[in-house]
Amino acid sequence: MLRIEGLTAGYSAIPVLNDVSIKVDEGQFVAIVGPNGAGKTTLFKTISGIVQPSAGTITFEGHDLLAIRPAQRAHLGIAHVPEGRQVFPSLTVMENLEMGAMTEAGQRDWKHNIERIFEWLPILAERRGQFAGTLSGGQQQMLAIGRGLAGSPKLLMLDEPSMGLAPTIADFIFERLIEIRRQSNLTILLVEQRVAEALESADHGYVLEAGRVALEGNNQTLRADDRIRKAYLGM
Amino acid sequence: MTQALEGFLQALSAGLLIGAVYGLMCVGLGLIFGVMRVINFAQGDFMMLGMYAAFYFFTAFGVQAAFGNTFGPFVAILLAGPVLAVFGYFVHLTLISRVSGMRTSSLEGEGHYAQLILTLGIALILQNGGLLVFGSVLASIRTPLSSSAWELGPMFYDVSVFINKARGIDAVVSLVTMLLLTLMITRSRIGKSLRAAADNPTAATYMGIDVDRAHRIAFAIGTGITAIAGGLLATNYPFHPFVGVEYVIVMYAGVVLGGMGSIIGAFWGGMTIGLVQQMSTLILPTQLQNAAIFVVFLLIIFFRPQGFFGRMVERT
Repeated sequence: MLRIEGLTAGYSAIPVLNDVSIKVDEGQFVAIVGPNGAGKTTLFKTISGIVQPSAGTITFEGHDLLAIRPAQRAHLGIAHVPEGRQVFPSLTVMENLEMGAMTEAGQRDWKHNIERIFEWLPILAERRGQFAGTLSGGQQQMLAIGRGLAGSPKLLMLDEPSMGLAPTIADFIFERLIEIRRQSNLTILLVEQRVAEALESADHGYVLEAGRVALEGNNQTLRADDRIRKAYLGM
Repeated sequence: MTQALEGFLQALSAGLLIGAVYGLMCVGLGLIFGVMRVINFAQGDFMMLGMYAAFYFFTAFGVQAAFGNTFGPFVAILLAGPVLAVFGYFVHLTLISRVSGMRTSSLEGEGHYAQLILTLGIALILQNGGLLVFGSVLASIRTPLSSSAWELGPMFYDVSVFINKARGIDAVVSLVTMLLLTLMITRSRIGKSLRAAADNPTAATYMGIDVDRAHRIAFAIGTGITAIAGGLLATNYPFHPFVGVEYVIVMYAGVVLGGMGSIIGAFWGGMTIGLVQQMSTLILPTQLQNAAIFVVFLLIIFFRPQGFFGRMVERT
């Protein structure tokens, strides 16, 4: 579904990503883990078109993504739930969800989607008239996820949904994501620093270090890998 | 006693009426600043073009013949709005978009230096171009209503207040325009996407909102709104190609008073300025009207630096 090959990208002249290749198949849950500054967020921004790559290709369902304008990429079915949530603070919860549904598919499935989102994340239904800027961090994260789901995406990209949240809330959000995936069969690309949780639930994982793919493999091979166990899982 | 009360009520009503039009004028600028964060120095000159557009619609394009002297000017003014909106659309497309929007979001100062120089340049071209095309003779959009009044009263204490008919209709047109704009911004899909693009352009792009297009729409609407306000002012005040300079400062004062980025705030900012300007004549000579505006402006900014409706928090 999503194929990234030989991607080099960054800010100014210094590349943050170096020859990165990543593949996500339909229905897969792929996790990208790695330390701070490894280039995980830059990778997502390049997929969404906010950062221009200097080399490499990105294809999504056969489309050459780099030839498509950034704002059009969402309309192909890519939902980006950005790092730090980035909800629209002066819009209400409901209006934020409407903004997520700007795509044609989102318009078409609006009624159905909103029902499911409120079922999965009931706090959003409760707060629907409240300004997003007045929500707590965890609630904002749930809104950001709900906003992503409102567009009926084919691929949901989640950038560190646990960032800056209390561990119990992060656990709750993770558990919700697993449940959403179970019910919807959505293809998910997740970036996380909580390596253990991410690798546990993902089908396939990549370890990004200093802008390169240091390691990749399926769920079992990665969790059995000595380097991962030492560096990230503390075993 | 009666005389003082009458003077007060007269100044108050004049302030409210002119304030409604100033409010609309500020809203045009406030919309552009709020959505795009572009400081547009040419806004006053867009207003000047709006005045001339209404003038020529009325006199040369048959509006006078079709709608008569009394209501023709208001039809011409409402026609000038969309025409200037189209003008604003193309100014953004060909010039402003080169130094603003997503392409400059990663630059130092977000391209503000280039924006300042560009809009100042546009202002100078419009002023001097206006002088060439329209000439330096004062123009005005006359309606018989400009020189007649409704009398309210006599009320309590035998007080009566006179409402200039043209100003009364100006204020009503202004309020209706403001109401329609508010509905559009708060209720419609396009209005919500403008607000989303203003809140967080990057996240808006992730939603599939074309931020540059949103900016173009905001710029067009903002230009059209200010043009309508200009036309309304022209029913009472004569104008010339350099008239924009006189109003652009008032516009900025209004937007800052209301709180940078707040559209409803810009309206109340403009309203405040209209009120202060008219009320000041009660105690000060008329020449000091503008001085009074800026003294009050400084006082309000001293005690409430974020303006009436501004938020202290920075955008993320």
